[in-house]
Amino acid sequence: MAHVSRRQILTERAAVLAITVIFLLPVAWLITTAYKPSIQIFSIPPRFDFTPTLDQFRAVMAYFDVFSLVKSSVIISVGTTVLSLLLGVPAGYALARSRSRYASLFAYFFLAIRMVPAIASLIPFYLMMRDIGLLGTWWAVILINSMLNCAFVTWMMFSYFRALPRDMEEAALTDGCTQIGAFWKVAVPAARSGIIACVLFCVMFSWNDFLYPMFLTNLDSKPISVALLTAYGTKDITWGALGALAHFSTIPIVLMALFLNRYFVQGATNGVQ
Amino acid sequence: MAQIVFDKLSKTYEGGHSAVKELDLVIKDGEFMVLVGPSGCGKTTALRVIAGLEDITGGELRINDEVANGLAPRDRDIAMVFQSYALYPHLTVAQNIAFGLKVRRIEKDEIARKVRETAELLELTEYLDRKPARLSGGQRQRVAMGRALVRSPNAFLMDEPLSNLDARLRGQMRAEIAKLQKMSAVTTVYVTHDQVEAMTMGDRVAVMNKGTLQQLDTPRALYDRPVNLFVASFIGSPPINFIEATIAAADCAAVAVAGAFTLPLGETGDRALGHVGRKVILGIRPEALRPVPDAGGRGTISARTAFVEDLGANLLVHLDVPDATVLRGGIIEEEEDLKVIRPRMRAMVDGVLSVRMGDALTFAVTPGAIHLFDAETGVAL
Repeated sequence: MAHVSRRQILTERAAVLAITVIFLLPVAWLITTAYKPSIQIFSIPPRFDFTPTLDQFRAVMAYFDVFSLVKSSVIISVGTTVLSLLLGVPAGYALARSRSRYASLFAYFFLAIRMVPAIASLIPFYLMMRDIGLLGTWWAVILINSMLNCAFVTWMMFSYFRALPRDMEEAALTDGCTQIGAFWKVAVPAARSGIIACVLFCVMFSWNDFLYPMFLTNLDSKPISVALLTAYGTKDITWGALGALAHFSTIPIVLMALFLNRYFVQGATNGVQ
Repeated sequence: MAQIVFDKLSKTYEGGHSAVKELDLVIKDGEFMVLVGPSGCGKTTALRVIAGLEDITGGELRINDEVANGLAPRDRDIAMVFQSYALYPHLTVAQNIAFGLKVRRIEKDEIARKVRETAELLELTEYLDRKPARLSGGQRQRVAMGRALVRSPNAFLMDEPLSNLDARLRGQMRAEIAKLQKMSAVTTVYVTHDQVEAMTMGDRVAVMNKGTLQQLDTPRALYDRPVNLFVASFIGSPPINFIEATIAAADCAAVAVAGAFTLPLGETGDRALGHVGRKVILGIRPEALRPVPDAGGRGTISARTAFVEDLGANLLVHLDVPDATVLRGGIIEEEEDLKVIRPRMRAMVDGVLSVRMGDALTFAVTPGAIHLFDAETGVAL
């Protein structure tokens, strides 16, 4: 093993620390902003010896129906995730087990759908939703997000199922399962880590989605990602209020990522035996 | 219990690769049949055809006299043990064993009883709550066996179930599987490329090569009377020696003239008398060569020791035979790499003998132990 000098270790740690600081600085700024009195938010140099206050949170609660915003975000994210997985997981499996030599090509085609710029599909989708009377509802956002995320899930689960030994499903077939039974009882549980990763991505994509809900929802169905923008630039809402509102936007998703990450890593490290 | 019949069965994959060609094979009820052959010989495809995991492209498969060509795997009541064991990683050992019963909606109490009995039989009781990831290779193998045994199926199919185990455990499990099969008397089809497993486990052994059946017989008959060069070279460890020779007649008996050596053929020679003057290949097993002190005697072969492998009880002596042409034994595709190695004669001698590299040795060959093959067709004479 190559000798690693003390100096090299120190340099590496300093580099890691510097990168961490760069990434965490905006988060720290956002958090501290929410607890600073308005007058100290833009003080130069930035000060950390302020007296914490919950005034910004009180202002946010007064101006926004935070519960309704979070509820909309949860409904859109859960709806999108459920629909994307219901369609994407079986589609990924079918592609993975297909004997067609074009299966990989199809899978990448699905990935390409996810890469279409959101703005490109917005106007036709807006018109479609208007015509079928779903404009301004959660369903409009759930449907378009599901279309995009389902394509991503299909591609991702295609890769997971491809890596899964076929033997297990064949064992299930000889044990008495139908092809669908083998999929639900054996392939899906065995690809749990991949499915959890898909859940994580789908929730993050749809929770953080801004463009579609901005145009497809109305006041009653608006999620928190859209409210964040409306907080900025209005007369009475300041950066402090934006920081406070960002708490409600980031904490649920960070908690979920931390919680699911545990299972994701567990599944990935155990592997398929 | 089941009788399984292959009737001119063929399997051709998309793209035209023919894995099994017009296979005729009858696996009797309760029999332990071993399918053996090198990689790509069609043995695993034949097994998967029985399980219903491969479509049949020609001929018929009959299970208990009923055509099973289009029958779904679940309707065949056949249990399969896979090379990778194919255990369900998200289920415990008990759930793995119970899986097939649960799918068939057997009552819970009955499932619990059967799982308990099977676990006891396979000494898995203390591992019932563990997931497969926390089991050793041998334990996983036993769980795979348990999953098959618990259902009391029509037939067991085993696809190289021991190939992932270390040599010592493999020997032990070999005996256990053979014992379990005798105990349950369930028709078993066992696929392996290991001729030792084939010889020690099977009631009968089907040797396959390139999708066709080469010989079907008892292990002893395969060893004693191989029908062609392929079977002779595949069965037996270390492999048989092949030497170029010509049949000649001497004192009203046939002899084989291999370079500078003349070898009496004994009973084999009676069959060879009609082939005097014909070029043949002699098959002499390493264990049929006995070292003798007198050099140059009739019925002996002189050689020089190239190197010696000490196997403990025996020595495997690799010999250069300058006065005869030794042929390569491997007609097996996966042994392509061996073609770059110079062919040498091998002799298995007693471990107490002192043999060193460079020693000149003389071997006597028991006439009855010489196999004769046609030099052109490779078929036994």
